[in-house]
Amino acid sequence: MRKTTALAAMLLATSALIGGCDQVKQVVTGQSEVKEAPYPERVYWGDTHLHTANSPDAFGFGNRLEPEAALRFAKGEEVTSSTGIKAKLARPLDFLVITDHSDGFASIKDLYNAPRSFITHPTMLRWYDMMHESPEQSIKAVGEIIDAKAKNNLPPELLNPEGAAERLKNNWRAHIATVERYNDPGNFTAFLGFEYTLMNRGNNLHRNVIFRDGGNRVAQVLPIASNNTIVPDGLWDYLDAYEKKTGGKALTIPHNSNLSNGEMFMLTDPSGGPMSAEYARRRAAREPIVEITQIKGDSESHPFMSPNDEFASYGDAGWELGNLDFSEKTTPDMQPGSYVREALKRGLLIQQRTGENPYKYGVIGSTDSHTSLSTADDDNFFGKHPGAEPSDKRVTRSQGLGRHDERQGWNYLSSGYAAVWATANTRAAIFDAMMRKEVYATTGPRMVLRVFGGWDFKADDLKSDWVKAGYQRGVPMGGTLKAGSGVPSFVISALKDPQGANLDRVQVVKGWVDASGQAQEKIFDVVWSDMDKRAAVGGKVPAVGDTVDTATATYQNSIGAPSLATVWSDPEFDPKQRAFYYVRVLEIPTPSWVNYDMVRFKLTLDPKIPLKQQERGYTSPIWYNPA
Amino acid sequence: MALKDSARRLLREPLVHFLIAGALVFTLLSGRAPDLGERRIVVDERVVGALVGRFYDSFRRMPTKDETDGLIRDWVADQVYYREALSLGLDEGDEVVVRRMRRKMEAMAVADAETKTPSDAELQALIDKDPARYAEDPQTSFEQVYIGADTPQNRSMAEVQLARLRKGEAVSGPPIPIPARFDKASGHEISSAFGDEFTLGLRNVAPGQWTGPIASGLGLHLVKVSARGASQQPVLSKVRQRVENDWRAAATARAQAEAYARMLKGYDVVIELPK
Repeated sequence: MRKTTALAAMLLATSALIGGCDQVKQVVTGQSEVKEAPYPERVYWGDTHLHTANSPDAFGFGNRLEPEAALRFAKGEEVTSSTGIKAKLARPLDFLVITDHSDGFASIKDLYNAPRSFITHPTMLRWYDMMHESPEQSIKAVGEIIDAKAKNNLPPELLNPEGAAERLKNNWRAHIATVERYNDPGNFTAFLGFEYTLMNRGNNLHRNVIFRDGGNRVAQVLPIASNNTIVPDGLWDYLDAYEKKTGGKALTIPHNSNLSNGEMFMLTDPSGGPMSAEYARRRAAREPIVEITQIKGDSESHPFMSPNDEFASYGDAGWELGNLDFSEKTTPDMQPGSYVREALKRGLLIQQRTGENPYKYGVIGSTDSHTSLSTADDDNFFGKHPGAEPSDKRVTRSQGLGRHDERQGWNYLSSGYAAVWATANTRAAIFDAMMRKEVYATTGPRMVLRVFGGWDFKADDLKSDWVKAGYQRGVPMGGTLKAGSGVPSFVISALKDPQGANLDRVQVVKGWVDASGQAQEKIFDVVWSDMDKRAAVGGKVPAVGDTVDTATATYQNSIGAPSLATVWSDPEFDPKQRAFYYVRVLEIPTPSWVNYDMVRFKLTLDPKIPLKQQERGYTSPIWYNPA
Repeated sequence: MALKDSARRLLREPLVHFLIAGALVFTLLSGRAPDLGERRIVVDERVVGALVGRFYDSFRRMPTKDETDGLIRDWVADQVYYREALSLGLDEGDEVVVRRMRRKMEAMAVADAETKTPSDAELQALIDKDPARYAEDPQTSFEQVYIGADTPQNRSMAEVQLARLRKGEAVSGPPIPIPARFDKASGHEISSAFGDEFTLGLRNVAPGQWTGPIASGLGLHLVKVSARGASQQPVLSKVRQRVENDWRAAATARAQAEAYARMLKGYDVVIELPK
């Protein structure tokens, strides 16, 4: 009898039937207690943004890899991608957050697997037929689904928590059970989370949610859908209620501000009125960090706001032209609200006015991959979704889902990862490091970056135990300078990825509010390779050179330096001016994934398509508040 | 509205699911030809409910009697065509139909494996097959002094610095953001900081005195290993979760492969080469 039921259930794939007995399992680690370091001694690498077959769009794109495959891949196991390619990370990750869309969580998978006669909604039936017809039609169906979502026009059956409550509950619990099985404190941290796909007319306001807790707490709630809301308050209410109900903790991470047409980091509140101190406080408390770089472009900076920054345009091409679904073109006046550097500046301005800084962001990178595969290495890049997995077509294929042609495959970045200075590899330690913003972003390479800010650091500090001194006499990245006098000084140390390229330079990006109340920015080159041979000209350090051979997609570490360190004091410090300082580290030029594809598939590409890049790391800022 | 509601309610009934599913199972397990020779098409409440419900979703009103009759006539036509098409074998060579059926069969095959629990003996057998995979990484405690990039100049410098270290003098190299001292570090941890090359190099270093230089992805290092743990046999109670995860992943893959192999046995696959 039991067997027949299971068969029936599988045929129907209404997971409601198998879900009844599905208890969320407590993790049995069997290991001894995980030892915590007195202060963070090593950096942990992870991806806070990954989609599996449970995400409606990922499934529609052809992703058939469930969360288990995603977890095994992140831990370093070989898996077979949805398009049949063997995939393995050169180096495993230390942690992973699977963030499937809560809007329609697992719904397209269930729709696809349902008997056709059960589908009553004409649009859903149409998508059902398209998905079953061919991969091309399936991708077109996803285009329609994303459009409908952007227009807040999805069939209620896909979202409606009433009709779908049972289905959602069972899918969510199955997901929790899998994640619990793979969370291995001390060795590999698997977080519970989801993506809240908030959008206003195609303007990307998406947030990822990360829970600090295990399944015993998280299973007490269901992932909340953004439905038709256009402000994040509903999510924050939900998380407040979650914390109150369970005693747990959660944070949210906004991403792809570069596709928000200025709405992610507004100077006003979402309705256009003046931002209240209460809104600013609530946002800052819930959103300690922001995802600054990922496959769909880099959101650090844009030449429109930073014309003097010759490195500002990295990862902007294609993405800067419109919002997420391209329903609205981007105009220059929208750009300031879409990039993180500007957000940090706006945060100071709002703090000046209200006393609260809503955009006091630490930064991380992540992939937002929809393939279940967290890849950010250019020589092993599995793309944004199964339609962009390695093939001879992906570089030049339009990514407009049949609606527009402005964005093509090569606009994708093989980016990025989240680096976390935590005291142990556990949910609690990594989450807490994120809350205190002791984190940084890279576009993929695993370079090690440390920064401490204080009032009395001198060059000599680097000769002794400067890390210990940094914690004792200063604050690490993500912190706010303690009260002090004189000029703030920063201990900065950068180390290349042990399996990657040398470093070109280390820069400090400073933002401040001047005497007239205007936000300003300036970039200081503070230490670089071959300083004796590369003297700054007109305040700018000359380019490091270029060893990339695009014919073979190779480079040489014959230029640049493996490590760069300095103690830097702000020569323009004004104690009356509110400021932030973050570090940007550039690698020497290396081949991009497009170049590796070109060699691998013997492609002839339009010369306008870039084949190399300077990958980089961004640290969380250190802030200064006048007394 | 009332009809739609009752149809909806009906469709949520597990019993109804079960009956339909049972019929499908029977059909699938019995080979092909869903009509089983029975030339009967039943229009019951469920069918009408679904048709009316779909109409309502499209037009936001209930269909008139004529419209309902039209929906039913069309549904009957679907069934007649479907059965006739199957009897003519029109599903054959249709990739969409073929893939869909295959996916359903594959899902059936793994359903059982997903709910099974392995015995301790099974898990132990898995460990015994590849003990190294589950063994705790041997832990190494060591100090390292970073010299810089691997250049001839730095290699000579390493010699000088090594001599000083061996005399007990304090030596420091360029500052880097990874610790000078590692306490009981696993191979994974060491590789993560220095790269695999260094981890391998470190393995051959005799404990107790400064030696080097050892090369890493960062350049050259002088090292002193103070203690090295032995590789220990993995104990099931400590690695149960990992082994069980592997067991389950393997069991699912195996169930699918075995189910296919079983079915394949019933077929003669003949490869006809062109003459």
